[in-house]
Amino acid sequence: MDSHRAEADALEAEIRALKRACLELPAPGEDTSRVRQSFQGIYQSDSEEWKSSKNQRRHLGRLESELRFLSTLTGIRIRSYSKKTEDLTGTEMAEKSIKKVLQRHRLSGSCHMITFQLEFQILEIQNKESLSSVITDLSIIMEPTKYSELSEFVSRTEERRDLFMFFRSLHFFVEWCEYRKRTFKHFKGKYPEIVHLSKGASSSCMGIRSPSQPDFELVIVWRIHVDEAGKVLPRLDLLTKAPLRALELDKKGVIESAPLSFRTLLGVLGIEATLESLIKSLCAQS
Amino acid sequence: MELANTLSQDGKSGGGVLAHLERLETQMNRSHKKLEEAQSAQAVESALGTKIQKLRCLRDKLRAEVRERQARVKASTADVEPDQTLDISEQEILERRQENLKAILQAYRFTGISGKLTSRGVCVCISTAFEGNLLDSYFVDLVMQKPVRIHHHSIPVFIPLEEISAKYLETNIQHFLFILSEHLNAYSGRKYQADRLQSDFAALLAGPLQRNSLCSVLSFTYNVELKGRSFPFGARLLYKDLTAALPTDVSVTYQGMDALPSTWEEQRAAHENLFFKKPLHRVFNSFARKGEELDVNLLF
Repeated sequence: MDSHRAEADALEAEIRALKRACLELPAPGEDTSRVRQSFQGIYQSDSEEWKSSKNQRRHLGRLESELRFLSTLTGIRIRSYSKKTEDLTGTEMAEKSIKKVLQRHRLSGSCHMITFQLEFQILEIQNKESLSSVITDLSIIMEPTKYSELSEFVSRTEERRDLFMFFRSLHFFVEWCEYRKRTFKHFKGKYPEIVHLSKGASSSCMGIRSPSQPDFELVIVWRIHVDEAGKVLPRLDLLTKAPLRALELDKKGVIESAPLSFRTLLGVLGIEATLESLIKSLCAQS
Repeated sequence: MELANTLSQDGKSGGGVLAHLERLETQMNRSHKKLEEAQSAQAVESALGTKIQKLRCLRDKLRAEVRERQARVKASTADVEPDQTLDISEQEILERRQENLKAILQAYRFTGISGKLTSRGVCVCISTAFEGNLLDSYFVDLVMQKPVRIHHHSIPVFIPLEEISAKYLETNIQHFLFILSEHLNAYSGRKYQADRLQSDFAALLAGPLQRNSLCSVLSFTYNVELKGRSFPFGARLLYKDLTAALPTDVSVTYQGMDALPSTWEEQRAAHENLFFKKPLHRVFNSFARKGEELDVNLLF
């Protein structure tokens, strides 16, 4: 009796401590507190560097912290960068005080699970009045290539030489992927018997199937699309699977109209509430 | 808009896990109270056993949650790749690494968002470009406290900075920066198009280009030549989507006194279509180059 009491008390104490820890750590989606912590980390590590006598090591440590902070702030980690400059100023141009320089840049890094390698050229023309910089060439290599939604986006971006749009759309694309993964995981955790992630939480499909009626299945297909202008938008579709007999009995055509009703529901309730209501309606008896 | 909704839902979903765990706990507390009222010691004993099981379950879930959050924090603070060098003196290795890191810090400006550390936080620089032309940069000086706030900035007053920071600055700073970047790049692009129209194609404009500071409303009249005759057209472009550099509403009207010949009605419609699809100065580029009747088929 006493040992049980003691165990219960110990568990309660541990739960309290874990809850405190949870509150201190940023929840998924709360990037600002993570960025704030990263910033505070810079000055903490800086004070340690004071103890070391090597001036250069301190400076190096500071640079590394600054880089870590920037990558937390933007979500983009640049791993390597190199640049070559070529002076294209002809003698005629020099006489008119016009300077023409071609820069060749090579940059590689990652944004979450996607890695990229960029090569681009910038032409700088300086005359008496102004300086103009133009990106004259852009080539992008991205991994993993399984994100087929992105290959069209990449060629469009290369054509337009829109370097900044590449990073912007990449950020929004990755955010949507993370949100989709979290949402699928959430529903799998809440309804483990009913929700099926046959290709894992990082895929684009979530299946809903009641264990009492395994022949009926709803499949949510959630794709993330990048449009012409570089805007990243989710595209959700509903696929239904039902035995032939059920389709014959379905006089009202409920199964046939399900995908359309799904779209309407999305517009009204939003993604999470729609998925929740779908799961609940299919498994009303459970 | 959709993204905004889902972000607030996302906050709920994260809260949803904690709320779910909290619900488990209240359920437990409720059943605990019920058990205390029971008479027999045996009932109390077995109830205690059930309670311990539920507590264990809750503790395991919380442990998993904390582990996952710690992993996320760790992943975001992983180190930069060390430079590969040959067997040289340590001094040179350090110097080379220093140069490498400095270069990478500089390279951040090519992502469109870069920053310099300050004593109170970071001064973020947002760069803009349109069609490969590098344009103005804007800065936002952030104070890294709880809550994060903007110390000062160079964002034009007609960009909805207040709205964007109220929505995202405290919860998702990356989002705040990229959405601000979207607005600024679109504004820069619209401004570039309007400026180019005024400077390069003044000869084709019948009157001054009327524009607002946000460059989201443009109004102008232009002449189109056909076989010696000149037809005046008026155009009004509205850019209701502030994150886009192409108009959402276009209306082209014939400004002349006499009736518009039927072939020109096709032209008018074709012009409207052009303004929707192509940047302003490119549309005028094609007007200037042709100088004759535009082949309507080429436009679609």
